[in-house]
Amino acid sequence: MKINSLSKEDALRQLVSSENGLSDAEAAKRLSENGFNEISAVARTPLFMRFLGQFTHFLAILLWIGAGLSFLSAYLHPGEGMSRLGFAIIGVIFINAIFTFIQEYRAEKALEALKKLLPFYVRIIRSGAENKIQSREVVPGDIIMLAEGDMIPADARLIECSMMKVNNASLTGESEARLRDHTPWDGEILESPNIVFAGTTVTSGSGKALVFATGMGTEFGRIAHLTSAVEPGFSPLQKEIVKATRLVATIAALVGIFFFGLGFFIGRSFWDNFIFAIGITVALIPEGLLPTVTLSLAMASQRMVKRKALIKNLSSVETLGCVTVICTDKTGTLTQNRMTAAKIWENDQFIDAKDYSPQAGNMLMQTALLCNNARFADNEYKGDPTETAVLKLARESIGDSMARRISEIPFDSDRKRMTTLNKVADRQYIFTKGAMESILPLCSSSLLGGTEQQMGDAFRQKVTEACRQLMDMGLRVLAFAYKAAVNSDQLSVISRKRESKAQTTNHQPPEKDVSEASIHDPQDLEKDLVFAGLIGLEDPPRPEVRDAVGKCHDAGIKVIMITGDGSRTAVAIAREIALVTGEPVVIEGADFVNMSERELRKKLSEKEIIFARMTPKHKMRVVSALQEEGERVAVTGDGVNDAPALKKADIGISMGVSGTDVAKEASDMVLLDDNFATIVNAVEEGRAVYENIRKFITYIFASNIPEAVPYLAYILLKIPLPLTIMQILAVDLGTDMLPALALGTEKPTPSVMKQPPRSRDERLLDYSVISRAYLFLGPIEAVACMFGFFYVMYAGGWKWGTMLQPGNILYMQATTASLTAIVITQASNVFACRSSKESVLGLGLFTNRMIFMGIGFELCLQLFIVYTHWGNHIFSTSPLPLHIWLVLLPFAFLLFFAEEFRKSRLRKGEK
Amino acid sequence: MYRRILAAVNEHLNSEVAARYALHLARVCAAEFYLCFVADKNTPPAVFDHAQAAMKRLFIEAEKTEIKAESITRTGQAVEEIGAIVRNERIDIVFAATRREDVERRFYAGTVARSLSLKLPCSVALMRVVHMGKMRPTKILVPLKARISRVRERAWFTAKMAECCNAKVVVFHATKPITTFFHGEIHLTPYEWEKRLPEGVSGFMEYLRKYEIEHEGRLLPGKTARSITIEAAAKRHDLIIMGASERGLLTSLIKGNPVEEVLRETPCDLIILKPRHED
Repeated sequence: MKINSLSKEDALRQLVSSENGLSDAEAAKRLSENGFNEISAVARTPLFMRFLGQFTHFLAILLWIGAGLSFLSAYLHPGEGMSRLGFAIIGVIFINAIFTFIQEYRAEKALEALKKLLPFYVRIIRSGAENKIQSREVVPGDIIMLAEGDMIPADARLIECSMMKVNNASLTGESEARLRDHTPWDGEILESPNIVFAGTTVTSGSGKALVFATGMGTEFGRIAHLTSAVEPGFSPLQKEIVKATRLVATIAALVGIFFFGLGFFIGRSFWDNFIFAIGITVALIPEGLLPTVTLSLAMASQRMVKRKALIKNLSSVETLGCVTVICTDKTGTLTQNRMTAAKIWENDQFIDAKDYSPQAGNMLMQTALLCNNARFADNEYKGDPTETAVLKLARESIGDSMARRISEIPFDSDRKRMTTLNKVADRQYIFTKGAMESILPLCSSSLLGGTEQQMGDAFRQKVTEACRQLMDMGLRVLAFAYKAAVNSDQLSVISRKRESKAQTTNHQPPEKDVSEASIHDPQDLEKDLVFAGLIGLEDPPRPEVRDAVGKCHDAGIKVIMITGDGSRTAVAIAREIALVTGEPVVIEGADFVNMSERELRKKLSEKEIIFARMTPKHKMRVVSALQEEGERVAVTGDGVNDAPALKKADIGISMGVSGTDVAKEASDMVLLDDNFATIVNAVEEGRAVYENIRKFITYIFASNIPEAVPYLAYILLKIPLPLTIMQILAVDLGTDMLPALALGTEKPTPSVMKQPPRSRDERLLDYSVISRAYLFLGPIEAVACMFGFFYVMYAGGWKWGTMLQPGNILYMQATTASLTAIVITQASNVFACRSSKESVLGLGLFTNRMIFMGIGFELCLQLFIVYTHWGNHIFSTSPLPLHIWLVLLPFAFLLFFAEEFRKSRLRKGEK
Repeated sequence: MYRRILAAVNEHLNSEVAARYALHLARVCAAEFYLCFVADKNTPPAVFDHAQAAMKRLFIEAEKTEIKAESITRTGQAVEEIGAIVRNERIDIVFAATRREDVERRFYAGTVARSLSLKLPCSVALMRVVHMGKMRPTKILVPLKARISRVRERAWFTAKMAECCNAKVVVFHATKPITTFFHGEIHLTPYEWEKRLPEGVSGFMEYLRKYEIEHEGRLLPGKTARSITIEAAAKRHDLIIMGASERGLLTSLIKGNPVEEVLRETPCDLIILKPRHED
């Protein structure tokens, strides 16, 4: 039993209230117990705590230990520059924390947008007197007064109302205002005509209502709760990066510990071992990875904006690339939302709308014209797209009609029809339009060849069949009926009858100064109608959608249509855009509600699925069920009630043109053109981002080997350290950064949308990436690095076994040569990493200009490090003569062509 | 199991709504229904009148449904007086509504509701009323932890609440996600999760089957309290029935307290049950 099924008196009794409202004292007491009538966010981890979390994960802890030990060393052995290293490591921790936080951060403004839908003030009755109070002070048991234009502050049961219509779009997504009634009604509260909900608006009429739920207890509060409580969690890329950094940090720590032990065992001093352990750890940790990933995502999001997809948080850029299912709305996303009349079924035959030329006074067109709330004004049609299409057909067929609307039974999604009472010339007519299944049972005769004939079962069957045929063409079908001569006792003219306008063109809905009448008994009025015909309305698919859907299929992405339309229309449109090819599983809203989770999951595993006659509130369940099955889900939405599903999905996509602010705030991506094809473009870009991240990870990781090998040589060969820790950081956080970013701007290859979405088990840092970086590219660079070091040392007269002081010019030149060798080979490596299999020569050396900018930056930075006083001071380097550069250059060519050779072998192997 | 049910009423509407739940339960259990109001010496007459009026309304409702009812008004400390009534009348379960202070105070420490839950020698159902428009729930969410005591009474209580409202029950268990250091979170499908349903939860569902209550089980990985409120809001449950917290203050401070969090954020009516009947 719910409040909507109770009589007015019982409802008041249940809430211990009366028509005079609560007393002020009682209201104050209830306010103190129930709290304010306002939307509040659920408790979440504060922003600063989330930021602090970036300093306490595994990699950060390792780095903190490294920094702490560096400071300890600086204290025990002053003047060795270890404190500088400590600060550098802390700098790395902060850089990583800031860039990771930037990736994870998203402004939570959906709740703010929701709050704007609630009124500030409300008129209520307390102690028998009408008052205006702040809506946050409304409590259960209050009687609120509602009039046209009012926003409703709380969920309430109507106890009085007069021609009251409310727009429930914020809750149900239906833009059509619904007529309210105060009589008891059995059924779900959400569907009940005697209930008004917080966050909705009174579009006409007036009434009084008893508040039964406030704040977060309202239906609106439920949406707010879900919108703020559902936490998106880590994106697939973030998860992969966590795994990759854990793996690399563990390797670095183990290698450090192992060689520390080994050095101790072979008799090196603690101090030497310590420098080594810190150095090898720093060398193996890719310090520049997170900043590069973040900047790369930011650049990708800029590219997406150019393709009409606005990304709201960075990590979503890549998530798009791994979606396996897209749940999409139909109207406006797959179709153009430009409704036009396409077919007419009249006199037992189908006629194309463009060939239709009825006679003046044609009753089908009269009904279409008069039973219509769209308007033609200022040379354009205004109103609901469906009604506009019908009005346009009628006006262009028979022109305007001089008639006056006396009354209207508005469209109601339960009744699925609207009825008007019009005075045409001297006669009164009832005109009705709506769903065929709603109109046909009301008809007792039909109009055939201009004469009214008794309707038999055979004709009913024909109408039903005609309707099916129209729906199978993907058309939305409306049935039309009328009847003449209404008994005056069926009407009661409203007392506030005012001066009547003489005659108005009746396609205009009644204006306020036109006399209005209420209809006592709609059922009586709408019986024995004359069936006039059917009109099939077309909302053509967007031209680019068919290709986009094809791309999705090629890319192994399942597309699920979720629409409010009937199943036949939905299936027909789906066939037209090649969304389905076989017999799809069609689930209608009513069945969906009664379906168990197990049944739903079974249906969702089918290849082709369409959800018909659905409302936005159902979307979250679909998304959740898909996610529980392991799918990565993108979902579209535009209404307030879509917000929870948009938050829940891996990627929530809102409509930039038709979407509400709440939907936009709750989503991860905003489609600036509401077009499905844009989603597919964004998916393509997302996949390219992942591919590009793998490319620059290979690039970054390759340089870890020439950074680590000098430390191995230092401990195993007992030579001076060929590369200092600061020089390692110069590569990782300096020279490598821009070339890596340039790799992040590689365009998607044609094959990127020909392969299935990557599986959950696919690692960002898999064997192919590690082996290519660590076992192939890295060793070549390491050879170059060590060659540069020994070349300078021997050229300077160094003898094996001689240890040089850190400030020795020869030693500094030698380490500078090592660093320069890494930089030069990395410049070549950028080209090599542009593809994993294809020849770079085949891709075109000059197709990515950013690469040259990156290399230009890399070389300029190296020149700064080698040839400026500041560079020499910070990185302990010394200027190199030109011939050293020239000696190192062949290693760059060696790396490039060796990689080309490897790729060609790989391609041959695949063939 | 419940032959005498007591509903504690005060001047607030919440307590009256909570008492109606008790009344429904008394009807299906064919139990005697006791109403009590405890006023202290400083209770203003208006408060007294409100409570008396509520008792009267409830008494009339009980009479209409032919439930044997008795009203008791006492003066003194609420917890002590109710405790005395429970002992004297051999009450099996007490229904009491939570107050605003229960929601606002950390671990609702020191509140009347917590004292009732801890000190009464019978089962206690603490009720937080959020929605006054749904007099009888049609969907009940029952979150359970892996190891639960007094399974029979919990199941009995749930079954009777479902029976009196003709409601469907969803037994829910939120578990920790399965993770490994290098692999991170391992995704399991609902079917795979179902295989991991803890014994206590399966036992509870077995009882529901025995009592012929329509129900389904659901196990999801995630934070306990947040998963419960999201499930309740997303699936439009009308009532949550969960067990009282057995965590101490220190454990609650370190690990958090799901009951407290659900009490604060519940999107629908909530009953926190402290069962006392041994299996």
